[in-house]
Amino acid sequence: MSTLAAARARRSPWRVTRRVLLRKPGRVIGLAIIVFFTLMAIAGPMLYPGQLAVDPDNIYASPSGAHWLGTDFAGSDVLQEVIVGARYVLLTAAISALVTAALGTTIGLVAGYHRGFTDSSLMRVTDFVLTIPGFPLLVVLSTIWNFGRPLEMGLVLGVTGWGGVARAVRSQTLSLRERGFLEAARGLGLSNTHIIVRELLPNIAPYVAMNLLLSVIGFIGAEVALFFLGVVPFTSSNWGVMLNEAVFAGGAINSPQALSYLLAPLVCILLLTLGIVLFLDAIDELFNPRLRERS
Amino acid sequence: MNRHTWVTAPVAALAVTAMLAACSTDNKAADGGAVYTTISGTNPITAGAPMNPFNASGNYFLGYNTMQLGFDKLNPADPNDFFPGLAKSWTATPTSLTVQLQDKAKWSDGSDVTPDDVKTSLAIALTQGSATVGAGFLTQGLDVGAVKTVDAHTVEIDQAVGGKNINFTRLVLKQTIVPTKVYGSLVPADIWDTIAASQGSDATAAQAAIDKLNATGKTISAFAPQTDVSAGPFVLTRVNPGSAVLDRNKYFYDLPKISPKQVVLRHYSGNEQIWGYMKNGELDSAPYTSIPTNVLDEILKAGNKRVDSLHYVNAAIAFNESVAPYDKTAVRQALAYVIDRKAVTKVGEPVGGTASTHLTGMIEQATANWLTPDQVNALNPYEPDTAKAETLLKGVGFTKNGDQWMLPDGKPWTITLQTVNGFSDWIAASTVIANELTSFGIPTKPALTADFATYKTEMAAGKYAVGFWLTALGPQASAAYQRLYGADNGFSMRGATVAHVSGKGSGNWQNTPETYTVGGNTVKVGELTAQLSALAPADQKPIIQQLAIATNQELPVIPIWDYTSVQFTNDKRFTNFPQQGQDALLNNPPGVWMMQGYVQGKQ
Repeated sequence: MSTLAAARARRSPWRVTRRVLLRKPGRVIGLAIIVFFTLMAIAGPMLYPGQLAVDPDNIYASPSGAHWLGTDFAGSDVLQEVIVGARYVLLTAAISALVTAALGTTIGLVAGYHRGFTDSSLMRVTDFVLTIPGFPLLVVLSTIWNFGRPLEMGLVLGVTGWGGVARAVRSQTLSLRERGFLEAARGLGLSNTHIIVRELLPNIAPYVAMNLLLSVIGFIGAEVALFFLGVVPFTSSNWGVMLNEAVFAGGAINSPQALSYLLAPLVCILLLTLGIVLFLDAIDELFNPRLRERS
Repeated sequence: MNRHTWVTAPVAALAVTAMLAACSTDNKAADGGAVYTTISGTNPITAGAPMNPFNASGNYFLGYNTMQLGFDKLNPADPNDFFPGLAKSWTATPTSLTVQLQDKAKWSDGSDVTPDDVKTSLAIALTQGSATVGAGFLTQGLDVGAVKTVDAHTVEIDQAVGGKNINFTRLVLKQTIVPTKVYGSLVPADIWDTIAASQGSDATAAQAAIDKLNATGKTISAFAPQTDVSAGPFVLTRVNPGSAVLDRNKYFYDLPKISPKQVVLRHYSGNEQIWGYMKNGELDSAPYTSIPTNVLDEILKAGNKRVDSLHYVNAAIAFNESVAPYDKTAVRQALAYVIDRKAVTKVGEPVGGTASTHLTGMIEQATANWLTPDQVNALNPYEPDTAKAETLLKGVGFTKNGDQWMLPDGKPWTITLQTVNGFSDWIAASTVIANELTSFGIPTKPALTADFATYKTEMAAGKYAVGFWLTALGPQASAAYQRLYGADNGFSMRGATVAHVSGKGSGNWQNTPETYTVGGNTVKVGELTAQLSALAPADQKPIIQQLAIATNQELPVIPIWDYTSVQFTNDKRFTNFPQQGQDALLNNPPGVWMMQGYVQGKQ
């Protein structure tokens, strides 16, 4: 193999990703957890199609061979509920995070690059979005809007949550636009679209990518909290509803029998958060050329 | 640590501990009496809310600092059977009630409870939505026409002209009595003229008078007295965010019977908090809360004793019959055959529920009391039987496409089963019902309404086709059937006749037919129900039997379970609690138990 070919092979995205991931075991664990839950969300409802079976003679049964995580208030299998419930939770969080990242990044980039009237206008809109108290708004909206599907919940969470990202991206853009490479790009007469998309975006990509993952954690917390508080429609196969039922109807705080019903969704949320936090480290290095070069 | 700190630290810690102990809600009050700790089942503590029994979220506690002339024994055979309260005794005629007040009845400021206080209180009661338009007799209205002072301790209360409501005595005895010196200035001088106008035959003038009374009622509801002036065994002395503290009223008319020196009513935001209090042995008694079996075990382990009593309430599935296909009797009957009420009760109300078996619109004990054994045996028990359900549905044009039932017009049949946020028993039950109906081929989803107030409003507006509802309210059968064939079904009294309304804004969300055909006979459900309010219990039997049989056939609701009032007592600090079987007492708050000489501190 020639030296050039060897250098290309070393720079291939797959090899770089693999190298970055394997550098620390925590990153691999994080990725494994995320993949595990993603597969659960995709395949879970297929594993358990149809109705959640109830068994009134087997309420709050302890974990056993038949029910690995025990049963709930209606004798339904807790493991089945956790698996089936993953789709709504993860899909909602993913939609919210994508909407937040897309809106926040676009508005931040455009405002920071153009400055002047565009910047002022967009930042006033951003300020308005930042002043909207997200969680109370959701509680109010839930009285008039049915959040039965992930798309609706995800859109509302995302549309009300992009303000912080837009502000941060704008700050970074303001800093970058004074750099030499951007002055050169402008001097070469490149279009604004080219400069924003091809020159600025790659430089703020690490921040956006990290924010995307971090916001997934936040949005999981927000949606589960809404269901936990019981302010959105009841669906038994949802982690938030499971928490609500375990605490308020099952007495998990007062009785150990309902504990597995309480702990199952809690542990899932905890594991997912851990996975994302561990994987963030790898994302940072992957998207940040300086870190990659240093290693 | 230097020497000075070493010496002073334990001393300071001891001092702080002593101070904390002195400040904490101990089980012994300052002067040695015991403190009775419980919760108010009807209203959690609201710090800052007025000490006003006419305020929706006010800090008032029936049987402790809030008194009535009497306390209802919930005797189905005698609607006027009451424990004495501020009334020592009473004599009723068909048109009036004469009440003898307790000889020593005094307010907590030392002044006497007078007939004038009763007069003011009844006038206020009529400003709180109790007044009925025109001669609204045969309804549940409080038709007080006049209040006359006979002597310093005797008061005569007359029904409005023409009124012969057999529930008049109970309606009057149940009214809250407040002091004129506190509330009198809020009551207009001409209020009895307004009340008379509201009961007159001129509908326009009556409505204007009702509006005037309601406006006065709003002012009274918002009123916040500076201090609590109580004629009960306790006086509210302070309200903290976490509890209300009531001290024994030294002027209470039967003071020797009141053992606790102080009552502390703990705040709660949900059932789980009450369970926690009981599990920790913090409550001397606790009223009914919906409770799962696993928590019941923990509560009993903590030394609490379970005491059950009859509860005149049933949880049912109600229909809006203006929405197809619920207008078809066969459809409602089919659903009754599909829903396994025992399985649903086991999940929804495992401790405080008994699955309904006879579906008459009354609780099971009332059905057994009013119907003959032959009639009870002839009732359809609607035991789970999907084959019968299929036959019924096919008989009215339903078809099956694969596993799913299709409506007669060929569209798929789905059900949204409405429940209320926070009603854990209904929510759990709806999961099982949805499962059973979906398995049968009717995809069913439970849906939640944010709170009960919204639920009632939206239900009245006809927003829900199928939803949970409380029925079989009692103990009188008239109240149970008013729930099915009363205002919610468009029936009301206009003069001496029963009127029926339907459509938007009418308040009629049940929309059943006005008559049923049972065994070839026409049963006018609204008229029969209205008649119950004017008949003595012994004369009600034939009407109740007709209504029960018609209800069992037509199923305007599908009763799921009868509630049992499961209460708990803890004899760590007090003894002599009412026991199982003493339903009349157990249906009242502990303050009433104390007035009857129950609940004595342990030596």
